[in-house]
Order: sequence, then structure tokens, then C-alpha cells
Amino acid sequence: MSAFACVVVPSFLAAAVERVEPALREAPLAVVTGTPPATRVVDVNAAARVLGVHLPMSEAEARACCPGLTSRVCSDAMEAAARHALLDATLAVSPRVEDAGTGIVNVDVRGLERLVGDATAVGRRLLREARAVGFLVTIGLAESRATARVAARLGRPITVVAPGRERETLAGASIALLEPDPETARTLARWGVRTLGELAGLPRDGVAVRLGPAGLRLLDLARGLDQEPFRAYTPAPFYQEAQGLEWEIETLDALATVLAPVFERLCARLTAGHLAADVLDVDLRLASGEHHQRRVPLAHPLGDARAMLALVRLDLEAHPPAAAVTGVAVTAHPVRAVAGQGGLWQPTMPAVRELATVLTRLAALVGPASVGSPRLVDSHRPDAVALARFQPANPGVTDGEPASADHALALRRLRPPREIDVEWIEDAPTSVRWNGALYRVLTSAGPWRSSGDWWDVEGWARDEWDVALSDGTVCRIAHDLRRGQWSLDAVYD
Amino acid sequence: MGIATLVRAGEITEIIGRLSSGRTSLLIAALRRATRAGAAAALVDVDDVFDVAGAARAGLDLGRLLWVRCGGRRDHALRAVDLLVRCPGFAVVALDLGELAPRLPLTGAFRLRLAVRRSSVALITLSSRRIAGASAALAVETVQAGVDWAGPGRAATRLARLRARVSVVRARTAPTPRPLDIVWQCEVSSARCEPSGEMGREVCA
Repeated sequence: MSAFACVVVPSFLAAAVERVEPALREAPLAVVTGTPPATRVVDVNAAARVLGVHLPMSEAEARACCPGLTSRVCSDAMEAAARHALLDATLAVSPRVEDAGTGIVNVDVRGLERLVGDATAVGRRLLREARAVGFLVTIGLAESRATARVAARLGRPITVVAPGRERETLAGASIALLEPDPETARTLARWGVRTLGELAGLPRDGVAVRLGPAGLRLLDLARGLDQEPFRAYTPAPFYQEAQGLEWEIETLDALATVLAPVFERLCARLTAGHLAADVLDVDLRLASGEHHQRRVPLAHPLGDARAMLALVRLDLEAHPPAAAVTGVAVTAHPVRAVAGQGGLWQPTMPAVRELATVLTRLAALVGPASVGSPRLVDSHRPDAVALARFQPANPGVTDGEPASADHALALRRLRPPREIDVEWIEDAPTSVRWNGALYRVLTSAGPWRSSGDWWDVEGWARDEWDVALSDGTVCRIAHDLRRGQWSLDAVYD
Repeated sequence: MGIATLVRAGEITEIIGRLSSGRTSLLIAALRRATRAGAAAALVDVDDVFDVAGAARAGLDLGRLLWVRCGGRRDHALRAVDLLVRCPGFAVVALDLGELAPRLPLTGAFRLRLAVRRSSVALITLSSRRIAGASAALAVETVQAGVDWAGPGRAATRLARLRARVSVVRARTAPTPRPLDIVWQCEVSSARCEPSGEMGREVCA
């Protein structure tokens, strides 16, 4: 079993653009940089290369060479998103990956044979994960990262170099695969060294004297020796996808069309990491030069692009941008998605997507602070409750029986407590006046005295009574010892 | 008839009664059964009267309960219920309309019944009077039958239990069962039971 896999995206900048606009895969494409008319080509896809477009070349030369050429500018945000997407995809296979440069990821695959299979199976898995986030990659698997990197550049989708056979497998490969600097490449060509096998056979001391550190680096790569330690990649605490536009968008429908593939790419990355998003940050670059930023908290963690788009669209309808949009960027804050499968005899739970939509609509209806799962606050203050996000656990019967049975008497809280007047004889309430009506107290029990937070401005102290009134109502009244005010707290029902 | 018969998937059940008749206890018991069985439930609370601590003591699984507080807006409550009953996956959706219950228009109640049936949700309404008319499959009325107090001497020192009679006022599919007598036990908070002088704890004076 190989120790490392190297995942290489050929023509990474062009692949990053094709990932955003998949329709460009078949057409000749050049990625350009600079200010017109002095733009120059920095990367081309395979179709453009076949038609003679190469590097270095100005955009004007490239268009003269290939009239049907499509050019795009690759923004830093787009490149970063593509780079992180590739790393996230490989993280779905192994927890130890290394960002080895633009479009190159080293993956530590030791120990995966029992989980995934042999080296070829691991390669296929990496290929599938990369394709899921929009990349066509080549993969090399070998005992060292250097060998795996060379193997990945051989052009085949998956190249497995068996342990101990590195030299004979890669001996015939061209030195160009190591991407030597032009001066070193010229020197080696002058020496008649054209293959990795020939380079690996050179004496190390002689190469060090004549070519310096650059030559030694090439020699180590040709011999399959890793000189640098493995620097494991730590995923960013957020996922971002961006797309620049070459035109201005003024309507929400058109903007939704642009946002849809952005969310699909974002969700593909989240899915690769078995994650969901609980907050979305939408940053719209406007034609006026300003940015329209919206934060959309999701009522339930989501990994579904269509649901995200619907929720963001609802938000943008309520808070539209002030000018035409020229670029979009969406950042998702990931949370671990709860995995689980209901049993045959367990009750069904609301589907995540539908539940998120319902919760969002309920929040819009009654306010986000009024929807959620009730939670007891660690306090002795009466009616100390809070609302948490509603995230029903996987179906399963709650273990253990509570202390009380089915037949527990419930209270109906009055929020806020209603102020009442109480008449008092011999330390017991005798009548209660509420809403202008007078009720006689038939039976009473109390007081139950409590206090707390005396060290704070929010201190409280009270006596509680349970009283049965003349109209049949049984309620809980309280006397605020600090303010001297009586209140009707709750009704037993 | 038992508490379990209140939760009828795909049907509307109405609980009516006046204050201190045990109707809320009946509703909480139904929610408790659903959540402890592992299902999700929702409570649309018009007047914000749900007692969280008491429900937790009664054994209701709060993590599986969605609480929608409507701040007295009955129109919001009805719209919230309409949204929830169209979301399959909730075993029970409860609507606590309190004392001032609006009567649902006939078409509205019928539409609600269709939605409930389609998503197989059990909708339970609680109010002082019936609101769903013929769309309800079951309507029960709770009446207070007595209140018991307890104490070591002649004077009552704590509320012990509330006795209630539950009678069926409408049953569409089954023959009308006989009234059921339920004794609701008053579960005092643990703090009330601890004669502690520590600040912040409830103590019996």
C-alpha cells in the first residue's frame, strides 16, 4: 500500500474558472491578468493549448492565434475558493492532507486500506471526491510525496507506483515534469540529461557544485526523496465561494440565477466534509463600489443548495441591494451535521429542508426570539426559561421514566405576572381583586419563600401562595418582598 | 378512553374547558407521550402561558418540542399552525388558544383538516370553547371535580391534587365513551421540598 497520494489539477487557474462556468470546459479558454489592452495569458485549458495558445503570450497574440478564444479573469477569491475546495474534497478521504502548491494536494493515505481498499481504490475515491467539487484531476500514489507528485503528472488519471519500483517506473519520464527553472533546464539539456532516470543517476556532489540548491532539489525529486516535512492542512473555520461578474445584475431573479451555482459549489464542499452550514454571509459587490452584506442565520443547519438559495432570496427581497451587483461571495459557517438514520419502528422526524423553511417562516411571522426549543436556565428565579434552536435529536425513545407519571398538574404562566390586590388577615390572604372583580380565597397554602441574586441589581425575594378562589380557579399568587407588590403568577390547570 | 386516544394521527382533537379544569394538564400529558416516544411535537402558544419547568418535571422532552410564542396574536397562531401541519414529521401540533378563542371559519377548519390528514399530524387545540366544528374528530371537555389540599395538621400547607372529569362531547369515528375521571397530582418543585436556608433556594416559611 502506498503511503502518499498526490492530487494534481492540470492548468489549475483554467480549471478554477471552468468550475465556476462549466460551459467553458469544451471551448478554448484563456485566463488573463492585467489591465486591457496589456492583458497577458496566465493559464489556458486543454482545448486552447491544442489550438496553439501557450504561455507566455499576450491576450492579443492568443486571440490572433485562436479567434474563438474565451478569456476570463480569475480573481483571488475565486482561486482561493477553488484551492480550498480541492483541499476539502481530499479531506473527505483522509484527515491528513497538505497544500503543496497551486492545484496540488498531498494526501497521507496510510491506514486507508482497511477503510477504502488498495491504492487504486483510494485513487478512485479521490478522483470521485474531486469531481464532486468540480475538478478533473490526475492522481499519483507512491511511497514518497515526491514520487507521487511526478507520477500524478504522467497524464493518466491514476498512476500507482509500487514500493521499490520507483526508479524503473519513472525512469523514462521527462525532466519537464519536475518544472525546472529555465536556466537549469537549459543546462541539463546541454548535458544531454532528458529523463528522470538520467538525472537520478548523476552524482549528488557534482550536481551540488554545478547546479546549486535548485539542482539538488531536482535531484531529490528525481530520486523520490522528500526533503520537507509534511505540513498538515487545517480547514478554515468557514467556507467561501465567490463569483465575479462581467455584467451588472439589477433584478433579484437574475441574481438568483447567479447565486444558484455558487450555493451548489458551496454545498458540494460542505457535503465532502460531512458538514452543514448554520449561518450564511452574503457579500454583494455593487456597481457603486460599495458592498451589500447580509448575514442569514439558518434556523436549522443546512447542506441543501436550493433551500439555502430560497432563504437568502427571502432575505434579499426584504433587504435589496442599493445598486446593481457586479460580484457575489457567499461564506458558510460550518457545523457538524448530525448523521443518523431512523429505525423502522421509530417515529419520523421533520425533513431538514422543510423544517428549516418552516422555522424561517415562523421566525418571520412571530419573531426569531419567539420560536425555538424551550430550555431551563440554571437559576432559582421563577420562570427562568430561554429558547434554544430547535434541533430535534434522532428518533429514539427517551430513556428512563421521570419521577412523575402521566398525571402531573400543569400550570399556565401569566407573562408578565398580573398585578393584583390582596386582602390579608392573620398572615393569610382572604380575597383577591383582579381586573376589577373581587374573588374570595377559599383555601390557601403558603407562603413559600424564595430569594436570589441579592448580590446583583436584579435581586429578587418573594413569598408564593397557592390559593383556591371562589370562582373555582386555583392559582399561584406571589408577594414581591422588595416592592411590596402582589401579582398573579400562574393558574393551575 | 385514555390520554393516548387524544393523539390521533391525521385528525383534529379539541380540548375545551375553563380555567383550573385540568385541560392544560391533559394537553401536556399528550405532548409528553409524543416526545418521550421519540417524536417531535410543536406547541403554538397564543398567550405565552406554557410552564417550561413544570413540563420538564412532568417528563416532557423539551429538546423535541418546538415552542412558538405568539404574544397574544391569534391570527399569527392560526397561521403558525397552518405552516406546522403542512410540515410532515411532527407527531403532534398543539394550539393553545387560551380563553379568547376565535371561531374558525368553516372553510378554514376544513382546509386545516385536509392538511392535517395529508401530513398525518395530530392537531390538538385547547381553548375555552370549540373552534373547529365538524372538522374535529374528537372533542373532549374537562370539568373540575374537586381540589385536594394536604398538610400535617388541619390547616392546608400545600396543594395536593386536582380532580377532573373528562367527557367526550364529539367523537366522529368511535362510539362516545364514558366520562373519565383523572386525578392530576401537584408536583411541587424540588426546591420547595428542600428545607434549606441557602440563599436562592425556596424554603417553607
